[in-house]
Amino acid sequence: MTKLMQWLFGAALLGTLWALVSFDLLDWKLPRAYREVAWPMPLYLLVSFGCFSLAAVGYRVATFNDCEAAAKELQEQIREAKEDLRRRGLKM
Amino acid sequence: MATGVDQAVGMGLVLFSLSLFSYYSVWVIVLPFMDSDHILHKYFLPREYSVILPGIAAVVLLLLIGTFTAAVVWMNHKPKKAD
Repeated sequence: MTKLMQWLFGAALLGTLWALVSFDLLDWKLPRAYREVAWPMPLYLLVSFGCFSLAAVGYRVATFNDCEAAAKELQEQIREAKEDLRRRGLKM
Repeated sequence: MATGVDQAVGMGLVLFSLSLFSYYSVWVIVLPFMDSDHILHKYFLPREYSVILPGIAAVVLLLLIGTFTAAVVWMNHKPKKAD
């Protein structure tokens, strides 16, 4: 089984479980609080992942060491690249 | 360690995402287990907004990305010369 199939299988399993709990498809009659927590779960996981990504980026920005020489060299290369692209006609 | 503005921006991002995560977690996971007359409910919008607001944010983000892409593509479109 390919990785894609494995991921899709896992996603389908979790999706079914989520639908069963949120919409009470098997008539389990769970307490209302559990259903209210389960329903926004996909969106909640997405928001958490976004927050985690933002925090990771922010942390790396804060702890990355300054490299003066590399920074100058990079600025120079950016300038050269922009000039080159402008000559070839790309407008930004 | 990075200096000055970098550290400020980085730490600001970390704090912002931490507070956003905490607020959203309490909103989605903790509140349904609180009685409806608990004082905590005063600090949170009605639960429908916990789905609508991220939805709007996602739409706005996609709009911005799409607009930027469209602008760059449009500015570099060269019509083919007829031979």
